[in-house]
Amino acid sequence: MKRKLIAAIGAAGMLVSVAACGSDDGKGSGADGFKGQTLTVWAMDGSTPDTWTKDVTAAFEKKTGAKVEFEVQQWNGIQQRLTTALSEENPPDVFEIGNTQTPAYAQTGGLAELEDLKKSIGADWTETLNEASVFDGKQYAAPWFAANRVVVYNKKVFKEAGVTGIPKTRAELFEAFDKIKAKGKAEPVYMPGQNWYFFDGLTIGTGADLVKKDGDKWVSNLADPKVGEAMEIYKKYASYSTAPKDKDEATPQQAEVFAKGKTGAFIGMGWEAATAIKANPKIEKDIGYFTIPGETADKPEGVFLGGSNLAIAAGSEKQELAKEFLKIALSDKFEGQLSKELGVIPNKESLQENLKGQPAGEAAAPAVASGGTTPLIPEWAAVENPPNPIKTYMTAVLNGKSHAAAAQQVEGEFNKRLAQKQ
Amino acid sequence: MTVQTERQDSRPAEVRGVDGGGGRPQRRAASRARTTALAPYLLLLPALAATLLLLGWPLVKNGLLSFQNLNMRQLIQRLTEWNGLDNYAEVLSSSDFWRVTVRSVLFTGANVVLIMILGTLVGLLLARLGKRMRLTLLIGLVLAWAMPPIAAVTVYKWLFAQRFGVVNWVLDQLGFHSMADHNWLATQFSTFAVVTLLIVWQSIPFVAINLYAATTTIPKELYEAASLDGAGAWKSFTSVTMPFLRPFLYATTFLEIIWVFKAFTQVFAINEGGPNRLTEILPVYAYIEGFGNQHFGMGSAIALLTIVILLALTAYYLRIVLKQEEDEL
Repeated sequence: MKRKLIAAIGAAGMLVSVAACGSDDGKGSGADGFKGQTLTVWAMDGSTPDTWTKDVTAAFEKKTGAKVEFEVQQWNGIQQRLTTALSEENPPDVFEIGNTQTPAYAQTGGLAELEDLKKSIGADWTETLNEASVFDGKQYAAPWFAANRVVVYNKKVFKEAGVTGIPKTRAELFEAFDKIKAKGKAEPVYMPGQNWYFFDGLTIGTGADLVKKDGDKWVSNLADPKVGEAMEIYKKYASYSTAPKDKDEATPQQAEVFAKGKTGAFIGMGWEAATAIKANPKIEKDIGYFTIPGETADKPEGVFLGGSNLAIAAGSEKQELAKEFLKIALSDKFEGQLSKELGVIPNKESLQENLKGQPAGEAAAPAVASGGTTPLIPEWAAVENPPNPIKTYMTAVLNGKSHAAAAQQVEGEFNKRLAQKQ
Repeated sequence: MTVQTERQDSRPAEVRGVDGGGGRPQRRAASRARTTALAPYLLLLPALAATLLLLGWPLVKNGLLSFQNLNMRQLIQRLTEWNGLDNYAEVLSSSDFWRVTVRSVLFTGANVVLIMILGTLVGLLLARLGKRMRLTLLIGLVLAWAMPPIAAVTVYKWLFAQRFGVVNWVLDQLGFHSMADHNWLATQFSTFAVVTLLIVWQSIPFVAINLYAATTTIPKELYEAASLDGAGAWKSFTSVTMPFLRPFLYATTFLEIIWVFKAFTQVFAINEGGPNRLTEILPVYAYIEGFGNQHFGMGSAIALLTIVILLALTAYYLRIVLKQEEDEL
């Protein structure tokens, strides 16, 4: 009862403000139509470098006459905070949202539909990056930036083992590992049993789907031989490593292991190199990056595209102003500037030249076109809650179980999670 | 607190009763109370009102939520979807819930036993110490008791840190070199061990000080009488000290069970119920299902079931208390 009352008051309040908007200054979209308003933008910690924020703010204020207020959010507990904020009367107008979280929030009705924005500024957004913003065939967010894994390698170890030139295919990479192994002075690659996002990339590479539709509900598709194929590749990588089979890349931090100088390479984010350098400053000059090579030289390995989208709250009263903000923040100028300042992949391929001079970014960019994400369904979030059944599957295979048996072992848990009520 | 003062009233009376003399002061007190019947209710009112407002109302709300299908979507769109007993049916039929319940009970049992034994020993030690040492020990106990749980957890996390922790360093220095980089929070058992150490350490002061207070109510003559009758140290402990301590032991055990059972703060802060959700006890499980996974209705159902289980666990003590009151009336 009470809730209905609050909702009614909210709706009434909205009508009043819309009416006020209408009577005050015509349509409210003219040059000075937004004067006096303040747009609230939630950005995640680390996503908005100072110069970029200052420049975007200036451009926005100049164009609309309204103010913009950035509120930096911490990643820890963000989903809970966002859910609460969206349920309140005064949600943030624009907010950054993880690409794989977007479908779940689109399904809640908390995100405003952005079809017209896509038409006006999104014609050449990179297809693989935009997929996560589309739910049920409609646009609910705008791709902002992305990052994906590369091979971070120790140039000295590679050189000492006689590896010249950067491996262009998966076979060449394994040859290089063989040489390092033969040399016997270093572990060719650090690959713990549960580097799950790397494995997700491999499944994208083999064209496997982790879930399939059974009637009207989603169920596990782990038993698919294509998943097994991806796992075979993973197993081959892991065979060059003595890393624990039941741990992921964060325990211990793989970059810290790499920092000791006794590891040829690891698969990770470009910024992980900074962790290695922090642990052992002497390693800096030896660190290099290259794109994870695929089956053939012309197509890199599939990668998981971690990224951020910008969305507008459905409950925001400043829809038009919020769209103006997106148009400015996502313009080629500022999108390029962000890519340059953060070293992240921009939302258009034409802007990738901004990564020049940033070796990690340059290595990451070629894989974007063939990258992908986790299944973009609202039910997915529950699957990744620890203990992630796919990680359990990976460890089982690496410990000697067959693909089919391991898939069968975790399917019950997997399906249970996919069936959780929304 | 109220328990203590009641005991101090009734205790000498009972002892006198054993001696064969004296009346029952309670009866006189009761008749006095009846004459001013309204006063106690008025005095109770503020506490009752506060309890109803701060505990009762949230509990009712929580109860209502537990019969709803309330997830992200319903919260954001403000939908109310009643789903009857679905949440309870789902919780009670899931093996996870029962695994967590058994784990919670075992965890509580182990902690309470350790707390009560060590706490009692420290309490008895307090009674025997000289003035200066007693004061020193009391200050130490009060400081441990007064430390906020999150601060204590942080300190313990530092102590047991993998690479720079004092514990690993000491073990390494002592010759256990394999412990130099030991990860204490890697397995279920060792995480529980660290949490148990922390909770026991934090809970001993309450038990010890309570028990020490109890020993001060024992008249010295009883010990003299006992030794005249030829009782040794053990005999005078079991037949003089214990009867005085028993009600205190019941009360503190009861409180400790409640506190350990709902020790959300320590367990969650030290490893968030990890590794692999293996150290989740019921309150942590309710939080992770409710808030972490954003199934608010489900979380409420688990929280209510937790209260029911806690009531069942403490039923024995409640029965004793109720029976005692019946006897006294």
